[in-house]
Amino acid sequence: MSQTATYHTTVHWKGDHWGHLVMGNGPEMDFSAPPDAHGFGGVFTPEDAFVAAANTCVMMMFIWATERFKLKLLSYECRTEGTKVIELDRTEIFSRLHFHPLIRVAACGDSPAVVEGRVRRALQAAQKYSLVANSVKSEIVVEPEVVIEE
Amino acid sequence: MSEYLETAVDKFVFRVAADRLYSADGVWAQCQGKRVRLGLTDYFQQRNGDVAFVHVKPVGTTLEVGEEFAELETIKASASLFTPIAGTLWDVNKALELSPETINEDPYGKGWLAVVEAVDWERDAAKLLDPQTYLSLIRSEAEQENAG
Repeated sequence: MSQTATYHTTVHWKGDHWGHLVMGNGPEMDFSAPPDAHGFGGVFTPEDAFVAAANTCVMMMFIWATERFKLKLLSYECRTEGTKVIELDRTEIFSRLHFHPLIRVAACGDSPAVVEGRVRRALQAAQKYSLVANSVKSEIVVEPEVVIEE
Repeated sequence: MSEYLETAVDKFVFRVAADRLYSADGVWAQCQGKRVRLGLTDYFQQRNGDVAFVHVKPVGTTLEVGEEFAELETIKASASLFTPIAGTLWDVNKALELSPETINEDPYGKGWLAVVEAVDWERDAAKLLDPQTYLSLIRSEAEQENAG
């Protein structure tokens, strides 16, 4: 229950509205704010990072869940939208993360209804056990499209 | 309808059904005449996560106390389950094949695992924990782990 692990990143200012990010797992890159927030196009932004953190974490947890649920995953693709709300006091919050996963799995001789049930439970587990999804206060909505192939 | 003892540790509430006995590793046993129903405790299911699969040995299998009678796979862990009661497996919960999550949703009810025709219930029951003792055990274990 109280086991802990730590992860770290380091940023430094490069001048103007530019920064450089070094991630604990190795990659590094320049970043800015989005163009609508006085930043630049074509580069990594905190907004992208937030949505990507949730999207990538849920996907990795789903991959793990499919292995635990003995599903033969054929493909997984997920577009995730983060909705920003600007409050009356001008503070901003990601009020919602909306996941649209497209999941293809093989039936492997089981009935499509049984397989789809397992896929949906794996997806629920992915959301429940995703470190990032479990850590954000945004509402999380997952609307999957599941395709079972014989 | 079971009555429950409860204990809260941090944000978690663990329930212990008052009408059965317990092994220290989280299997409950409820005597029903000559037969004994086995299942997993609320504490066990919460600690191990969402159940993906459970494989109970087939009806007719003869078991000694401490022998594996089922294997459980959850999203986070795999576990062997050991019977606290000697006897022959008389029934297994087939509904768990399609809905193993019932173990998480209703561990003391529809999530039961198996029924054993006991060799000597009195002898085996004497080695099990009563609900209050099991509650104290899990509270102590959870608090110790929560304290880190």
